[in-house]
Amino acid sequence: MENLTEVLQLFLSIDNFIAIALGVVIGVTVGSIPGLTATMAVALALPFTFSMQPVAAILLLVGIYKGGMYGGSITAILIRTPGSPASACTLLDGYPMAQQGNAKKALKAALFSSVIADFISNIALIFFAAYLAKIALNFGAPEFFWLICFSLTIIISLASGSMVKGLLAALLGILLSLVGLDSVFGSQRLTFGNYNLMDSISFIPLLIGLFAIPEIIEFYRKKVIPHIKAKASGVGMTLAELKRCMKSIVRGSLIGVIIGAIPGTGATAAAFISYSDARRRSPNKANFGKGEVEGVAAAEAGNNGVAGATLIPLLSLGIPGDVITAIILGAFMVHGLTPGPIMFQENLSLIYALFLGIMFSSLILLVVGNAAIKYFSLIADIPKSILFPIVLMFCVYGAYAVNNMTFDIWLMLAFGVVGYLFNRTGIPAAPFLIGFILGPMFEDNLRRSLLISNGDMSIFVRGPITWFFIAITFGSIAFAVFRFFKDRNTKLNADKLTNET
Amino acid sequence: MSSSDLSNVKRIKDTLDVITGIVLLVVSLVLALYLVPNYIGEPSILQNPMMSPRWLPNIVSWLILAFSILLIIQGIIVPSDTENDERKIVKGPYRRFVIMLIALFVYVLFFESLGAILTGILATVLLFLAHPVRVWWAYGFAIAFPVGVTLLFVNVMNVPLPLMPF
Amino acid sequence: MKKFVSATCIAACSSALLLAASVSTVNAADWPTGDVRLVVPYAPGGTTDVLSRRVADLLKDALDTNVIVENRPGAGSTVGTGRLARGGRDADHTLLMASPGHTIGAAIYPDLAYDPVEDFVFIQNIIDIPNVMVVPASSPYQTVVEFIEAAQDKNMAFSHSGVGSSIHMSGELFKTLTGSQMTAVPFAGSGAALPALLGGDVDVSFENMPTVYSHIKSGDLRALAVTSAERSPYLPEVPTLSEIGEHNLDQFVTTAWFGLIAHNSFPEEGYEAMQTALDEVMERQEFLDFAEQLGAQPGQVEGEEFKQFVIDDLARWEEVAQQAGISQ
Repeated sequence: MENLTEVLQLFLSIDNFIAIALGVVIGVTVGSIPGLTATMAVALALPFTFSMQPVAAILLLVGIYKGGMYGGSITAILIRTPGSPASACTLLDGYPMAQQGNAKKALKAALFSSVIADFISNIALIFFAAYLAKIALNFGAPEFFWLICFSLTIIISLASGSMVKGLLAALLGILLSLVGLDSVFGSQRLTFGNYNLMDSISFIPLLIGLFAIPEIIEFYRKKVIPHIKAKASGVGMTLAELKRCMKSIVRGSLIGVIIGAIPGTGATAAAFISYSDARRRSPNKANFGKGEVEGVAAAEAGNNGVAGATLIPLLSLGIPGDVITAIILGAFMVHGLTPGPIMFQENLSLIYALFLGIMFSSLILLVVGNAAIKYFSLIADIPKSILFPIVLMFCVYGAYAVNNMTFDIWLMLAFGVVGYLFNRTGIPAAPFLIGFILGPMFEDNLRRSLLISNGDMSIFVRGPITWFFIAITFGSIAFAVFRFFKDRNTKLNADKLTNET
Repeated sequence: MSSSDLSNVKRIKDTLDVITGIVLLVVSLVLALYLVPNYIGEPSILQNPMMSPRWLPNIVSWLILAFSILLIIQGIIVPSDTENDERKIVKGPYRRFVIMLIALFVYVLFFESLGAILTGILATVLLFLAHPVRVWWAYGFAIAFPVGVTLLFVNVMNVPLPLMPF
Repeated sequence: MKKFVSATCIAACSSALLLAASVSTVNAADWPTGDVRLVVPYAPGGTTDVLSRRVADLLKDALDTNVIVENRPGAGSTVGTGRLARGGRDADHTLLMASPGHTIGAAIYPDLAYDPVEDFVFIQNIIDIPNVMVVPASSPYQTVVEFIEAAQDKNMAFSHSGVGSSIHMSGELFKTLTGSQMTAVPFAGSGAALPALLGGDVDVSFENMPTVYSHIKSGDLRALAVTSAERSPYLPEVPTLSEIGEHNLDQFVTTAWFGLIAHNSFPEEGYEAMQTALDEVMERQEFLDFAEQLGAQPGQVEGEEFKQFVIDDLARWEEVAQQAGISQ
């Protein structure tokens, strides 16, 4: 390449390295604090980037984004409090692992799979951006609708224990997600005239409430059990375990890449899809949800796979897929750069310098993450009687900080009670969450399609992408039904056997 | 539910599921018959019933109804896995629980008027007493953390929490 | 006001420079007496937030005090605005970044607990971002008139970033004025709406300039018109809707405006100090560069004029909301 020197000149500056490192550190820290999300950190950091060089400025923001993606998993694993929405899936297996004294292993698994997914995502960004961007452009409302339908089928595989309860949880989640202003007509739905509910129920208070608060309530409801001191929070992840998880990590990363390349789906959905896929394929299926290292790896691979890929529509089309990339787009524009096809023609060396920086950020994430684990895993050794009150304080501060509203603290506690009742009645929280995330997307894209087509239903089968998703949606349902009967048969046979003996 | 007589327990395999099902059944009926028609506005002209703001809430309500009936039936006929039932917990003394509830209310009721630091300290100390934590230095944490974290939020992260009542 | 005071001073005193300096120090001492809060009634990361943080940054120097940005999102911008309207002990040091959400919100939300005009002091309009009427490059329509004529028999889908956004309301206004057949297709934000527009799933949009500017430049979207009163210096070849004149379009002037307002109890000296500071901010090169990147123009009105502007804006949106059936 002729302008290799120019690229290196742009990239090899001490500012860039400082920006990446600083970004990742900020991201991991902020991401790990419940209520403070990477989005917020990126927004807050934006004004500071105005006076920086463009490459360093963007890399700082990308660093925060990637760090935040990983950082959320730390508290999800250690205290069952997802630091960011995308890590809600990580806690399904991460927290049980920490409870079994394997906190360090879970954290390492999350870190390694995050870094690997990040790396794969970056590769996709660099080499397949143009191709994936084309898919993104062909992804209209009806395609989205079927993607959401397919994603909803993962509820079936996430509903551990009772299928009926899982579906009920999902339905309740969908129902609550509909509270707020109707997206087409702007009419109020179940807001009861409360202004705080008009922007729908705040996601982060719900998330914290649903997972962290029930643990705390339960702790004070239960009989005191003496604190069992874990041995230095357990051992790390072995190479053999990493190898075992590798397939799930790679698959999760690819899922993340595809989801990330399509604007508007989000890392949380990617994490859940990757998780349920890993679970479906794993020989240790039964252990998922009870502290399976592969579950942690798959979830983290899914959400980190998104991080690099969301830059695909941003850089190649100028389309921000989520709030964070919208802010990064703003940062580009402040420096007089407009992402999109033109930037590839006019500022190619800058783009390559950015690519180098983004690759480098994966490496930094590994280093920073390792250091973070060393200190954060000590949290697992703190007795719950001291830890939980402080966790509650963080939860309250975090819930308030999202919108600066006391109402959100109420909301968090209300969902804490809901989560507690879910635990007591055996209703799984994960399908509830999926329903809450996907419910509005389902409805919006259904109605959007109908609006675009003027009520013509044939829009739902308009092209190969819709056909593909229809096929895998029904395939997924058929597979679940098949497995349901197979499991029942084996169970019946087993019962018969025990009866005979 | 613990007072239900023996014959009942024998007939119904999983009392908790049945109760959950009944509660959800009631919820879904209230939703479908009262809340959805009264609290969701519908425009007068609609090209397609699927466009209505009430469409999905209605479907979801009726589905909840259907599944809650299934849950009741399941609770009556399918025995629950009593051995590793994660639903059951051994309850501790009520005092602990009540103090925790008070701590939660301290947060929601006084967060804005007393500020983040004071409510944080108050609630944390209450929770420590509820356990009770008998290591004196832990109470130092109860003061240091709310102060430190609030200042971190406000000054470093630029997230304004309510500070002090004065 | 302050200019007038100092002008009188210059006439009266020979040591004009010294006195002018002392006047400004008196003002500086009166207000601000502490940190200034800038309430953003939207979530972090949006245009309003980014703009506010930029302005806060510059105001920090101009006012020589700390300016804290506080996000209070919810229900359009009405939650944050409602909070400001309640006043309280910090009201004399609290500003709010108002935008079309202020007037549109008041037009479409029922029973607001505040009066969008009377409860506030209107300080200054800071920036105006025009909306651009854009069609996909593949669209057969080359001019607005062609589009309107086609839209008499064919139903056109227009994308917008959410009910009550200036993009949505611009579309509804266009529909009402021209009598076109149009269906609003909502998306979750401008970013999500773009692919549908680029891919041709929707026929038209009235997007904010910064969102579509690069796509117009690259030829993926075609700008038919801008919604501001005058042509935008960034798209000089694109006509304004009002200059087209036909189909009642002469009444179509709207921008995404941003300006600072405060609670009624905001002190007089604060008002003056803010105007001086804002004049200073809006002359700074950083600010002008920033405005240029947004494809925006510095605000035109302040004080009473700004208030009148808001009153007119409100009246217009109330009418549109009613005609489109968006008011509940």
